[in-house]
Amino acid sequence: MRVNLIRPILIPFPLGIPGFFKTLVDHEVTVELKNDISIKGILKSVDQFLNIKLDDIQVVEELKYPHLSSVKNVFIRGSVVRYVHLPSAAVDTALLEDATRREAASQASKPR
Amino acid sequence: MADSGDVDAAAVSEPLDLVRLSLDEIVFVKLRGDRELKGRLHAYDSHCNLVLGDVEETIYVVEDDDDEEETVRTLKKQSEMLFVRGDSVVLISPQAAS
Amino acid sequence: MSFFGFDSSRGHPAHGPGFGTAPDAFASISQHRGTGQVDDDEGIDFDDTYDGLGDQLEEADDDFNDDTFGGGESKNEPVGKDFDFFGSTSKVTGAINEEAVRYNRQQPPPKTTVAHSSPPKQDSKPYRTGYEAYKNPSYIPELQVDPGLWGTGPAKPANDYGFQQSQQGEYGSGPSQQRSSGAAPKIMMSLEEVEAAMRAQAKKPTPISEPQQQTQAPPQFSIPQMQQQLPAITRDTHQQVTTPYSHAMAPQNMNAQHPAAPPDFGSGQIRIQQRPSQQPSHHKHRSSQILQNEPPTRANSTPQIAPNLQATAPQQILQRGQNMPHQAPDAQESPRPRQILQNPNRHSAQFGPRTDGAPPSAQIQQRGPVAVPNGTNPTPVIYHPSQIMNLPEEERRLYLEEEAKRAKRNHKIFLLSKGNGLMTPQDKNFITRIQLQQLMTATGNVNEPDPDASLSEDFYYQVYNQIENRPRQNPQQPLSNFAQTYLFRTGGRQGGMGRRYRGGDSHMQRMEQQVQRAVEAAKAKPKNKQLVIEGSLGKISFSNAKTPKPLLNIRRHDSSDFASRSSGKKPQVALSTTDRKAILKNIEAVYSTLMKMEDHDRRQPPPPTNESDTLSIQAAAEWQQTWKDLNEKLWTDLKVNEPIMPESASLHPFIAFLSYPKGKKAIPRIFNHIDENQRLTILTLVLIHLDIIDVVRLAQPQPHGSQPSLMAREQVDLFLQTVMPSLFSYVTEAPLVVVIGMLGLATERLNMSAVARTRVGLEMLTMVLSRAAIIRAVEAPEDEIWNQWLAVYNSFFDTIEPLLGEIFPASVNAGQDQYVWQFLAATGSGANPEQQQRLVLAVKDRVMETLQQSKTLPPEMASQRRGNVNLFMQAIGLDVDLLDG
Repeated sequence: MRVNLIRPILIPFPLGIPGFFKTLVDHEVTVELKNDISIKGILKSVDQFLNIKLDDIQVVEELKYPHLSSVKNVFIRGSVVRYVHLPSAAVDTALLEDATRREAASQASKPR
Repeated sequence: MADSGDVDAAAVSEPLDLVRLSLDEIVFVKLRGDRELKGRLHAYDSHCNLVLGDVEETIYVVEDDDDEEETVRTLKKQSEMLFVRGDSVVLISPQAAS
Repeated sequence: MSFFGFDSSRGHPAHGPGFGTAPDAFASISQHRGTGQVDDDEGIDFDDTYDGLGDQLEEADDDFNDDTFGGGESKNEPVGKDFDFFGSTSKVTGAINEEAVRYNRQQPPPKTTVAHSSPPKQDSKPYRTGYEAYKNPSYIPELQVDPGLWGTGPAKPANDYGFQQSQQGEYGSGPSQQRSSGAAPKIMMSLEEVEAAMRAQAKKPTPISEPQQQTQAPPQFSIPQMQQQLPAITRDTHQQVTTPYSHAMAPQNMNAQHPAAPPDFGSGQIRIQQRPSQQPSHHKHRSSQILQNEPPTRANSTPQIAPNLQATAPQQILQRGQNMPHQAPDAQESPRPRQILQNPNRHSAQFGPRTDGAPPSAQIQQRGPVAVPNGTNPTPVIYHPSQIMNLPEEERRLYLEEEAKRAKRNHKIFLLSKGNGLMTPQDKNFITRIQLQQLMTATGNVNEPDPDASLSEDFYYQVYNQIENRPRQNPQQPLSNFAQTYLFRTGGRQGGMGRRYRGGDSHMQRMEQQVQRAVEAAKAKPKNKQLVIEGSLGKISFSNAKTPKPLLNIRRHDSSDFASRSSGKKPQVALSTTDRKAILKNIEAVYSTLMKMEDHDRRQPPPPTNESDTLSIQAAAEWQQTWKDLNEKLWTDLKVNEPIMPESASLHPFIAFLSYPKGKKAIPRIFNHIDENQRLTILTLVLIHLDIIDVVRLAQPQPHGSQPSLMAREQVDLFLQTVMPSLFSYVTEAPLVVVIGMLGLATERLNMSAVARTRVGLEMLTMVLSRAAIIRAVEAPEDEIWNQWLAVYNSFFDTIEPLLGEIFPASVNAGQDQYVWQFLAATGSGANPEQQQRLVLAVKDRVMETLQQSKTLPPEMASQRRGNVNLFMQAIGLDVDLLDG
């Protein structure tokens, strides 16, 4: 039990993913939560835990989920996110794959 | 780190190294909540966070009929680029290009 | 005496400092209040005799306690010498005495003057209030208290200070005990209370002080000095007593330390004023004075005590006993823990000048004596165990200090140890780790304000921003060298880098340019007069009845024929799972090596400018060696050199490599890191597998005009964006021999039917053909070599001619046939007149259809279509404009 407590509860994500999201700031994304709500908005910031800040939000199925109809911007805790739909034009996939390879290599080279 | 020349060859010693082989390939991803994804894998990390391109999502919805028969309805959605948070991921499987 | 609460029968009070016990610096805290009576071994309790005014000052004056008494650990040393008064002063005793006498005589006048001014202030004397007993001339107790205070040594400062000042005024004069007695107040008084007390005091000022002084003084002196027996304490004795001490003390104070002080302090007024404003300086004086005072007193007292009394306690008792009668009323107040008393003494000393109701002169006189007793009495008489007494002065002092320190330490430890044992070491360790973890987390958050710091090393973020020309968020950071070279190395990044629409176009343009050049070269040749436009094109174009469809059908038969043939002869392209995995591994290995090489490129040292610069030469050599190693590894990973086995059932590894999107995407980057020969090898390898490579095999036109699968089309696009430009860039530089070899290989080994009906196949051929045309025009190759080319070309033409009817994509309307026209133009540019004729005949229908159709299109599209056709027409010396006419 102590051991569990000692284990870091919040592990920051490897550099790659937050950096990836950082390039998507000011793009329109749709965040799909684990409770099936989808929120479309302008990505304002993403932190190391993938907490997300959205501006000018709009709930995709507004009628079904009217909770947020009056909210302009939201902070979404990273852990409740299922997907983030991204604009593919803003993603350099080849570069992303290279970044992933590098990340994987650096992870693999770390002593375990 | 950007400098790390230590991009070691494709020694497949860790499970995620298998995933690496599927980079830029079509993969099949099974998620919690009766969801499946098929799309091109562009990124992953050690948390199984994924970035998939040209994704087709399949959701299996179980519905109870009046007869109390359970019917499974499938729902399909498309997404051009999708970030998948790793804690939903159940498995990642390479998918031979169709 | 039970009156004092001191029970002689039980020896030393348990709670009081015993002779055998070290002075307890904290004992007073617990003792002084409730047990006041028991404590009265000190004499009279100052709490009762003094209204507590002094306590208010206590705080301020504490600051220099350590300085004064060496309370701090480090103070041991410095204190030492200062206390050695006796040694030095004893030598000049005579002079001191003289001085003292003289001073006493001189003093009176100034004091009287002071007295006039002082009275109002004397009112302030608070400790008097309510304690009428003090008025009793025989009131002595305070004196006893002081010695107690001195027992701890350090506590004295204030007293000494005050007393010394008074001493300066007059040595001989005795009783100022009031001050000393008043020093002990426990009870804190508010300012109002103090003032009230002072006012009350003012009414009963003068008479009281003198008698008290007289009475009090004797006990004070007697106790500390011990020379005089307590019973002997009288004013006379007092005087006698005082002088010796005052000699010791006064001279030093006056001469050495406060030469100028006496006048100032002489007047009560001045003192009062000084108190608030000058305290700091007083503190200093006090401390030094005190330091000086203490030792001598002890020195004097101890030896005397020893002979008289084996134990000091009896003496004390005796003293008290004597004092008691006088002080009876006050006695109750007397019990005070010495530590506390020490501080009070100080206050009393300060107040002394003020409070004394006595005339100034009297005050001064009093102080002198009082001061001496204070200085002398304390330690030896009351507190020191007999053993300590016997110790040399210096050691004893050290011992006391040590004891005080230890007591403090013990107290501290006691306070700190309350939680001892609550946690095991494991518990503590556990907590520590949690704290560390939280610290880490917090540190992580610290990054928040400057998120770019963590992003500065983020590969994707940095490179992406530079590729996209985004404003960098921290411009002060130099452009990442890595990203720069990355950009440079991947060059156009067309193709590989995902954006389908970017790179392909530039490739198309380059292809177009090359074909254009080839056509220009061809036009330079003498016109083929035999080509009669009307004749050759006209008769076909208007014979609508003869549709080309049947011909196409026939050729389709051919193609199916090819398919059957290929199925038998060509390797199966379906890959087993293991093959697939192996190939993917190869690809990832290539990428790993590629990234290493790209990193390595960035580390390329500048070329050695100086030949003697061995270091840089060596660095360059090492870099070169590493490059070679990496290149070799890359080459191995690519599996290019795997044997080519045409009859094998499995695909050549490199061709399999190319069948994966990421394999294709790797080619441009690979070409940046391989030499010319390696490029040629790859080009050749691709060429001889052109009919089975996925982008040809999968892109065959489907039977009923339907398009190849979407995936196949994507692969074709990708190939054209990635592999083709790399090959093309090589071919554009290739010498004629290579071009000849390539065309020969293609003609000889390839299933031209499959190749010719795909865009990739045609573009490959266009590439080669147009390069030959350009070489001919630009380099004017030798006839011999050129004839080799012509031979190969003729062979090729014969192979391709039957296929010309089916090289166009299905529909004219789609307009996706530019590459075909380019191919035709490239072919035509190298053709002889007869071959040109055959070319025209083969494609005239398509020419006419395209021109017809272009007329229905918007001008822009129309001109583009016509331009495509015209490219071909010009290659064979014609022009579409001729057709319109």
